[in-house]
Amino acid sequence: MRGFFGSLNGPQTLGNGRSFWTCFAAALVVALVYPGFSDPYSVGNVAYLLIFTLMALGLSLMWGYTGMFSFGQTAFFGVAGYSYGVLAINLDASGAMTLFCLLGAIAVAALFAALLGYFLIWGRVSGVFFGIVTFATTLALAAFFGQTAGPEWAIGTARFNGFNGMIGMPPLMLPWVGEEDIVLEGNALYYFVLALVLAIYLGLRALVNSRFGNVLVSIREDPLRAELLGYDVRKYQLASFVIGSSLAALSGVLYTAWGQFIPPASMGLPAAAMPIIWVAFSGRQDLTATLAGTFLLLLAFQTITVYSQQYALILMGFVLLVTVLLVPAGFIIGIGRLLAGFAGRDRAGTRQDVPA
Amino acid sequence: MTPILQTERLHKRFGGLAAVADVSIDIAAGEIHCLIGPNGAGKSTLFRLVTGTYPPTSGEVLFKGENVTQRKPYERVTRGMSIKLQVPSVFRELPVNQNLDIALQRKLPTAAVPRERARLLGLLQLEDEAHRPAGILSHGQQQWLEIGMALALEPSLLLLDEPTAGMSPQETERTGELIKRLNAQGMTVLVVEHDMTFVRQIALRVTVLHLGRVFAQGNIEQVIADPRVEEIYLGKGHVG
Amino acid sequence: MFAEIFSILYQFADVFAFLILAAAGLAIIFGMMGIINMAHGEFITCGIYVTVICVQQGMPLPLAQAIGALSAGLVGIALERTIIRHLYHRPLDSILATWGISLMVTQGMLLLLGSSWRGIGTPLGSFQVGDYTFSTYRLVLFGAAIGVLAGLYLVFMRTGYGIMARATMQNAEMAQALGVRTQHMYAASFGMGAALAGLCGALYAPTMTLIPTMGITFIIESFVTVVVGGANVLLGTAPAGILLAVVRTALNAWYGQIAGQIGLLIAVIVVIRLLPEGVSGWLSRRER
Repeated sequence: MRGFFGSLNGPQTLGNGRSFWTCFAAALVVALVYPGFSDPYSVGNVAYLLIFTLMALGLSLMWGYTGMFSFGQTAFFGVAGYSYGVLAINLDASGAMTLFCLLGAIAVAALFAALLGYFLIWGRVSGVFFGIVTFATTLALAAFFGQTAGPEWAIGTARFNGFNGMIGMPPLMLPWVGEEDIVLEGNALYYFVLALVLAIYLGLRALVNSRFGNVLVSIREDPLRAELLGYDVRKYQLASFVIGSSLAALSGVLYTAWGQFIPPASMGLPAAAMPIIWVAFSGRQDLTATLAGTFLLLLAFQTITVYSQQYALILMGFVLLVTVLLVPAGFIIGIGRLLAGFAGRDRAGTRQDVPA
Repeated sequence: MTPILQTERLHKRFGGLAAVADVSIDIAAGEIHCLIGPNGAGKSTLFRLVTGTYPPTSGEVLFKGENVTQRKPYERVTRGMSIKLQVPSVFRELPVNQNLDIALQRKLPTAAVPRERARLLGLLQLEDEAHRPAGILSHGQQQWLEIGMALALEPSLLLLDEPTAGMSPQETERTGELIKRLNAQGMTVLVVEHDMTFVRQIALRVTVLHLGRVFAQGNIEQVIADPRVEEIYLGKGHVG
Repeated sequence: MFAEIFSILYQFADVFAFLILAAAGLAIIFGMMGIINMAHGEFITCGIYVTVICVQQGMPLPLAQAIGALSAGLVGIALERTIIRHLYHRPLDSILATWGISLMVTQGMLLLLGSSWRGIGTPLGSFQVGDYTFSTYRLVLFGAAIGVLAGLYLVFMRTGYGIMARATMQNAEMAQALGVRTQHMYAASFGMGAALAGLCGALYAPTMTLIPTMGITFIIESFVTVVVGGANVLLGTAPAGILLAVVRTALNAWYGQIAGQIGLLIAVIVVIRLLPEGVSGWLSRRER
């Protein structure tokens, strides 16, 4: 047990001390009891927001830890969403089968990421170009799915429906011993997503603080030096890209199952810009900052969207601009570093460098 | 006994320019060998052909008898070469500790890393800097850190490109002593250098490159005494 | 037979013109400063709207187009002076900043201008070869693309600005040491890139229905052309345009528009696997 907790802490994460984990436990308790003090609509809504934090965590791993930024994570989000639709509709899935469809859809997106990543990484595509090729990819996919309105655009019984998006896939269901399957909506979905976020957050913490994470960070700092230490940099980059993209895919499946709907707009603009904004604002070089910042930003965005989507998007653009000009490392990570500076005993494990 | 490193008739052309031409050298296991020559002699190009950063136009590189000409740099490193580049290249934003860990974990299980790290910090006299980002160390300290990272890989051949560039005379001398100490423990070292005082301090055998070709080779005192060697140095302006 | 061949050439010229005009402004800014201007589509949109407004005010089309291109250029210089110049040593951040601006501008225009405007109609009518009818204006666009390439060549090879710009591209620090005021070079280049984007919009304005998000129509093509072309505008953009236009024309003819776009992207991904520094990197390597 001690070993497990030990593996969660390390130089690659802010917040390793007792005070951090106390706050973390408190936040977790709040999250666990929250449905008891709220209405079903709000609970479902928070679940919806949490779904997107997974995509942000994946981008943080790729961009913040490995130094490769993709402007097209929505491509994997969308491909997985459509794949889930195709699988679940054709298999007429229910019960545990929906969970296999979830895994299958993630596998499709991961394979796609591996293929694209292979061409880009083995082609030694560097920073900026990596961003715009992935960006062009997601826009091209959005354009492609946008024109699939005709009845000839279908796989089996699953129709793509062009601009309007694919509909009619079943929600996720959890088989339960001796009982009926639990349909994942409302509180059940909330706890399911919360468990996923928790597991993935802790898993990624362990990953970035492991030997593997050390190598990722070294690639971010200086790929040539990393290679001269005997690491095949390309394999690590590809692994990071596939993991990050699979998390975008998981977000995509959960989103699709949540609304029983996936439109091409989920891959186009402005959707493609959103993960970048969440992660840039939060602080890409720390998982905790990314998780917290993304959730807060999504909450703010949604609150404003109720009044006007345009205003909300203008605000998001403004947030990105201000972040870049004033706090390039990110707002939440800046606050985190301040707190870590105040809490003396937390200092041992924290990074002391100046952000890029 | 086969040499640990051999180059066989290496050529490297950049367009019309032959940066390295027909270079065949042998490095015997256990020696400190210096590559010297005036600026533009092809030392750094030859170094990069050995490390695999550049592919040669023709010729071969043999390491421990194996032809590694087509091998990528990381594959050569995993076979026992260890490389320190000319410009100090450490992970500038990571603490010194972590710089060493990333190198040490290649050879050691996680549990064994801290002890070995402490030993290296002592060897490099960087104990007080362990938690500071490598980028704020002095130039000389960064060079040592990089040598330390190279050592952490437990290499059989240590390749150093101008390890004393930018160091004070005292730092240079300490670096020389460090290299000699490592050599006494059995490490083979190939050094690219143009500081002749430093070369005299550490090396027995040297290879002089001039205009991309091997100009002279042999015992350091003999080579230095050769009037032709003096001429190419003086002809280009005295270096070092 | 002649009509078929002409038709294929016409299609090619049409695609080529689109790629070159869409990419030229982006390529200049990238070549000079290593920045991908994510607001590129918005500069194009600016050129379109200004042109259409001017025409609706009764101006002749060519004048309206000139004003469209110029106003985009001026906006570009203003943007460079206020924001981009703070970010030159951080290319990634300048990309993100332009992306934020792009988002704000697009959504702001949706609020201010509403979702769609009536276009102004394609001028110059059409002509016939064999059984096929062709739009004359499309040939004008092809001429404009050639004109832009020729103009860039003249500016960069024959003018004082061009020599300093190429020096700055090669090595900014060295150029600065030699007395080139790199700040001015950057501002001028950013303005020129924005003006070329505006020109692209101005030229295509008569062929389109206006929506504030229409910049996206140009984005994929311009990005992939720059990626394939590589960092050197003079060397890379034209060959990249030819290469991609061939791919695109063939795929359009056989499988339709969307296959053309997806095929374009696949072609790009394959090209960068083979030529990581783009066409210009490969060409200059061969020269060496």
